[in-house]
Amino acid sequence: MPVVLDESDGFSLIRLQGEVDIASAAELKSLLLKALAPGGELRVNLQEATELDITAMQLLIATEREAVKSGLRFRLDGPVPDNISVAMVDAGFRKFPVP
Amino acid sequence: MSSASIIDRHKQAFQEEAREILVELESSLLELNERPDDSELVGKVFRSMHTIKGSGAMFGFDELAAFTHHLETAFDEVRNGRLKVSSELVDLSLAALDRIKAMVDELGGQSPADSYVSAGILSKLRELTGSGSAPSAPVSASTPVPDASADRNTTRDWLIHFAPGPDLLRTGTNPLLLLRELKQLGNLQVTASMAAIPPLSEIDPERCYVGWDMILTTAAPCDAIRDVFIFVEDCCKLSVELAAVQLSSAPAGGATQKSWEDQRTNPGRREYNKPDNASSIRVPAAKLDQFVNLVGELVTVQARLVEIAAQRDDPEVTSISEEVERLTAALRENSMSIRLLPIRGTFERFRRLVHDLARDLHKNVDLTIEGADTELDKTVIDQLNDPLMHLIRNSMDHGIESPEARIAAGKNETATIHLSARHSGANVLIGVTDDGRGIDAAAVHERAVQNGLVSAEAQLTEAEIFSFILMPGFSTAKQVTDVSGRGVGMDVVHQRVEALRGTIDIASKPGAGTSITLRLPLTLAIIDGLLVRVDQAHYVLPLANTLECIELTRQDIEKANGKHVANVRGEIVPYIRLREFFDIETERPEREQIMIAETEDGRYGFVVDEVLGDHQTVIKSLGRFYRQVQFVSGATILGNGSVALIIDPHRLVQEVIKGTARSARGRPVSAPGKSRAKEERTVGSP
Repeated sequence: MPVVLDESDGFSLIRLQGEVDIASAAELKSLLLKALAPGGELRVNLQEATELDITAMQLLIATEREAVKSGLRFRLDGPVPDNISVAMVDAGFRKFPVP
Repeated sequence: MSSASIIDRHKQAFQEEAREILVELESSLLELNERPDDSELVGKVFRSMHTIKGSGAMFGFDELAAFTHHLETAFDEVRNGRLKVSSELVDLSLAALDRIKAMVDELGGQSPADSYVSAGILSKLRELTGSGSAPSAPVSASTPVPDASADRNTTRDWLIHFAPGPDLLRTGTNPLLLLRELKQLGNLQVTASMAAIPPLSEIDPERCYVGWDMILTTAAPCDAIRDVFIFVEDCCKLSVELAAVQLSSAPAGGATQKSWEDQRTNPGRREYNKPDNASSIRVPAAKLDQFVNLVGELVTVQARLVEIAAQRDDPEVTSISEEVERLTAALRENSMSIRLLPIRGTFERFRRLVHDLARDLHKNVDLTIEGADTELDKTVIDQLNDPLMHLIRNSMDHGIESPEARIAAGKNETATIHLSARHSGANVLIGVTDDGRGIDAAAVHERAVQNGLVSAEAQLTEAEIFSFILMPGFSTAKQVTDVSGRGVGMDVVHQRVEALRGTIDIASKPGAGTSITLRLPLTLAIIDGLLVRVDQAHYVLPLANTLECIELTRQDIEKANGKHVANVRGEIVPYIRLREFFDIETERPEREQIMIAETEDGRYGFVVDEVLGDHQTVIKSLGRFYRQVQFVSGATILGNGSVALIIDPHRLVQEVIKGTARSARGRPVSAPGKSRAKEERTVGSP
């Protein structure tokens, strides 16, 4: 399963692993919605992700917007692998990842 | 849906799309053979190859992509003017196309034997292009498009706007790969536009909401940039413009002029250039057939509703019945139009057949096509392939002479086969015409006498003589003569066309050529008809043929001295009384109705007791027993459950003309027309 949700005290953590693409997009969306629901902080960990396609990127952007709107904290947990950073730059997402 | 099944679905979609592209590619290659200097055609061939390579690689058909790459490279050389189009290159490309077709069918894999064939083709291709060693085989979808036609010294800025359509991701396309492919053409600055991304809860996770604005600094021409998007152009919004044109700081003079020229010759903007394709879906043909069958059933039930509403005399029921009638008619029209396809694909396929046969038979033959956009019911098109193939083969084998014989006869060395299609009322006329030696009617007649099909004394028209060619067994006989010989497979053509409720007309002039016309119904399912009554029997006349309805009184008949002609506003129109034709012996009414219809033999009237009104007619086959009854094209079930025969006005008129002519000069022993008198009674006494 490329998308895993851990709910710890005070924050929810979503880990993206391996290839996160259209095949897991629906699952990622439902987990992001679930993680946003309780409020508090949402963290996304990309450390074990090898590939992030456009479906995942646009879901993360929508989540960031949602969090800002609801006054929640949304941040990346841990470093972003190089190939993911390159993919984001290639795709023209300058503002992403969120610091 | 699991990712494996998503991939399978995409692979299947790729196969379908690739087959379509290959058909197009084949016909482009054959056209190229005739117009080797047509650079637009070269570009089209190149782009088709690039599409197959790119989407093949994207879906993991690496072998296919690598193989196609070599072919594409050869055409890139042609595009750049380094290689000339020759018949050798075309033949080699066609052979390569066959390999690609096989790879597509086998989902990319190749047996060792196939690989040997592929290697042989590639080695010949390399000899032709002059590249001694095997070119490197890029297999990735993100392979940059080499384009040496670009002026390497001129680097220009291109503004590119790329907005994927909603379904781009579902086709398995990864836009990032496209951006990376673009990046390999030069320096690329990318800005993603995220404004269209909806709130998280409203996102369709499989849809692409992001668009891109890019500035590409490259020496590559517009074509190379557009080629990157070639296999997604139907489902995206793409514009490629020279920055110089838009920016006020554009360099003055010659550079600006050049930019404008580029703009004109390479219109970059493509606003969903094929909107229909972008919003179209693929549906299995079987589902479509089922849909039309259901609509047919609905039409029949609706006819019952009309009948019952008329009996009840309840305004509410009548109103509902009228509404259902209106909706059913709209649904019927809609379902029929979905099934209509242009005949282009079928016609284009024969370019290859003509090309290959001409080579094998050492003949020079041009195939010309007319009316390829004529639309026909899908079922009819599906059944048309074999008859046309037989007709063309016959033409090539027997009709068309050797180049030497043609020159000796004072003809052009290159023969022509002309395929044509056009609408004629509710029918489509498909023609196969050649300018070969024609059919020797005397020889056919002699052979028919030898076979006992006709007595030697019978005086037959040319059309009657030619119709023997269609008889089973006639064609399988040894050659009729060296001059004619036409007939191989003609019985197959006859059977197929008859099964489609079509007819075949043969016209031929010795030395000048032969023209075979297939008259086929536009649709095999439901037609608009006019319901008429003669005594207790009901008949349907196709509405497309009928012009008007006038009254026929006893006085009118007396005025014409009992002759079967009516005076329609000064024009004399012959008529056929269905009551007499079908041997209905009851007393005819004081006033009859004449339905005037346009037939191949001119205007004819059909006299009936009463015209009941228009009728949505679901055509039901009468079965094999009535196959020889040409003037009835089927039957339909009426609202009250009774059956009405559907009249084919053309055939009925021809039947009457033939009958009159025969009775005047004596009938042949057994002409293909068969004995009508007997069948008339069978049909006329339901």
